[in-house]
Amino acid sequence: MRISRRDLVKTGLAAGVAVSIPRVLRAQTASTAARTVRMVMGSGDLRVFDPIYTTATITNHHGAAIYDTLFSLDSKLMPQPQMVQKWRVSDDKKTYTFELRDGLGWHDGSPVTAADCVASIRRWGQVASGGQLILERAKDISKMDDKTFTIALKEPLGLLIDILATPLSSCPYMMREKDAKRPATEQVTANIGSGPFKFNEALARPGASFSYDRNEKYVPRKEPSDGLAGAKIVNVDRVIWENIADEQTAFAALQAGEIDFLGAPPVDFYSAVEGDPNLNLQVLDKTGSNVYVRLNFLQKPFDNVKARQAMLHLIDQEAFVRVMSPNPKYGRTVTSVFGNDTLYSNDENTGWYRKGGDPEKARQLFKEAGYAGEKIVILQPTNIAFLSHASQLLAAELRKIGVNAELAPSDWGGVVTRRANKGPIESGGWNIFITSGSGYSQGDPIGNVFFLANGDKAWVGWPKSDEFEALRTKWADVDALETRKALARKMQNVWWDFVGSVMLGQTFWPIARRKNLTGLIGMPSVIPMWNMQKA
Amino acid sequence: MAAYILHRLVWTVVVMVMVGIFVFLLLRLAPGDPAAILAGDSATPQMIDGIREKLGFNDPLPVQFVHWALGILLGDFGTSIFTGRPVLELISQRLEPTISLTILTMIVSVTIGVSFGVFAAWRSGGLIDRVLSAFATLGFSVPVFVVGYFLIYLFAIKSQWLPVQGYQSAGHGLGPWILRLILPTLTLSLPYIAFIARIARASMLEVLSEDYMRTAAAKGASSFSMLFHHALKNAGVPILTVIGISFTSLIGGVVITETVFNIPGVGRLVVDAINNRDYPIIQGMLILVSGLYVVVNLAVDLAYILVDPRIRY
Repeated sequence: MRISRRDLVKTGLAAGVAVSIPRVLRAQTASTAARTVRMVMGSGDLRVFDPIYTTATITNHHGAAIYDTLFSLDSKLMPQPQMVQKWRVSDDKKTYTFELRDGLGWHDGSPVTAADCVASIRRWGQVASGGQLILERAKDISKMDDKTFTIALKEPLGLLIDILATPLSSCPYMMREKDAKRPATEQVTANIGSGPFKFNEALARPGASFSYDRNEKYVPRKEPSDGLAGAKIVNVDRVIWENIADEQTAFAALQAGEIDFLGAPPVDFYSAVEGDPNLNLQVLDKTGSNVYVRLNFLQKPFDNVKARQAMLHLIDQEAFVRVMSPNPKYGRTVTSVFGNDTLYSNDENTGWYRKGGDPEKARQLFKEAGYAGEKIVILQPTNIAFLSHASQLLAAELRKIGVNAELAPSDWGGVVTRRANKGPIESGGWNIFITSGSGYSQGDPIGNVFFLANGDKAWVGWPKSDEFEALRTKWADVDALETRKALARKMQNVWWDFVGSVMLGQTFWPIARRKNLTGLIGMPSVIPMWNMQKA
Repeated sequence: MAAYILHRLVWTVVVMVMVGIFVFLLLRLAPGDPAAILAGDSATPQMIDGIREKLGFNDPLPVQFVHWALGILLGDFGTSIFTGRPVLELISQRLEPTISLTILTMIVSVTIGVSFGVFAAWRSGGLIDRVLSAFATLGFSVPVFVVGYFLIYLFAIKSQWLPVQGYQSAGHGLGPWILRLILPTLTLSLPYIAFIARIARASMLEVLSEDYMRTAAAKGASSFSMLFHHALKNAGVPILTVIGISFTSLIGGVVITETVFNIPGVGRLVVDAINNRDYPIIQGMLILVSGLYVVVNLAVDLAYILVDPRIRY
């Protein structure tokens, strides 16, 4: 067969057009709008929209976008007024009066009133531990006029403003009165807040993406942006949360510029991000997260304090940090029950810490506890890599000193169910469960369930120490920082004696972003979307 | 024939009832409390209890089953525990991506697979046969996610011809729709091309050795006429069977491809629902997929009549 020059040219042109079609189409469909930011939040898919109904991290991010709070933390983690213009406390420290600032409005166009705030505090108070404390102490929460409301207490609560400023789930987001009148066990699905972003219902694609538009009518505070406090200035028109379940695909999308932000990329990708000239790793939450072991106080052998102390001596935190976060930049040890770098971190009663651990001492303490080779079950969440790795290492460490440790692998859903079982191993119970919590929350003995030590009523593991609980109860009454620091030392002294939990280390989870996305606010617990810019 | 169809439809109902009971019990026996997941990690036991009560999980199992089964009979598949939206609405939202991917994959797989099978049989033992057989083996052996990541690297990151991920509804234009489906379709087609090609080849080889094919050749029929007019039709029953199996397994089995290419289809919906123990979604999807299996199998059985007039029911 002969091929003419004309055929060759025609074939070449056709091939060129064919090859370029995808590029043209891609250019047409790609997000070219510099004022649209695409984010993969890294906390799963948004399924529940009510930040009071659930404590899920992704819902807390959603709350921070569309709702506003009465107070917010600044970059020094100190509370500052946010929706509140002025506030005062009576001389007997029992009556707080709050006045809302001008220009606050709901996304449906109606103004924010004091009645909305009163209903929101009452609903939030049904579920959040800090909120419950306020409701317990409150004699009355009521509006004085459309812009003013009061919280009258039976006895002083020095921590009240700090509680209202918490960014942790469940965060006290203000909602419309008609939404806040719902029981806390019923979801609010209206998505009407007064925050800097409006939820775009029309573009909601459950399982795929959710869109947030700039709230054009939002009136920021006059003070400059500082942490979660100050002016919330939105510099983009729209933020789209893409739900990309596969981590490899999410990273490829970041590399290709299809997304701008990837929350919590896997540790394995850090070097690839660092090697890409268009990408950056950035630690937003500088308080990191603390990984810790919950021991089941209700079952042998950890119903015996000696066995719990054995765990304290056994753990080689450096080894655990290496398996959880192999890059040394993103992990370190932690010996204070109040975590590293919180206002209350201290070194009281930390003599148990030894580099490399002390397996011999641990073996001896297990023996003194009367441990006789019973099976010790460790719940292992196989779909959360760092917790799964830590569980495996802990099992190996226990076996080395002759403890009959057995892993119980399941997905996270299985773990959260089994961890609630207070029964013995034969009835599906457990002995050891590893989890993590915000480093910031480690400075909050009232809001963080980690610190509960009231036995049956405490969080999973059900630690019990009346002495610690008595000290913890005092925390809410103390308003001077120095007094709280002194109290923190006492609490820590007791904690490491009865061993309420055992620390495995502190990890930091950087986000990955394209370099043209700047202005991200680094704070614990939430990823705010105001202030950021896309070049 | 009508009696046969009626008989099959009655059995469909029986099968689905059995599937319903099995799925309901299996989910309730499996570990995992949706209320605990829903409430979040730092939820108090009181929060979790409140949610359990509200969702009716504190009711006895038979009561829960009766509520669910009555709902199904009335066409109500329940509401998602997490989103609070009707299950049928959630499933219908996810159907378009999955059906798009399934149909495109079937078109590509059947066209290429049957062609490969026919040509491999025609050149049995030759170079083409060996190359196509090797391709078929490769198509079976390489995991879908490996092919997916490889194609993403090649066509999305390196050459930047195609997007990495996502789905655009056909309602927003055919260009973006097809563009985002090219890589997933190629990925998903590979094993099905291999599967169909192998069956088509074996079936064609059997037919090509029949006496009537020799007769057709002796009468001067062209190769094309012999292959596609005489042989392929007679080799059609096993090929139809494998296409039916492929179609139903595709509907239920696109999970990995949907995950790798971030396509919000029913596969992703079910995986997410399983992780969250969102019982109504899992139950609803399994009932629907089971029904689809039965209906497609019935359609394939009926299609045999068109291909082979000797078959009667």
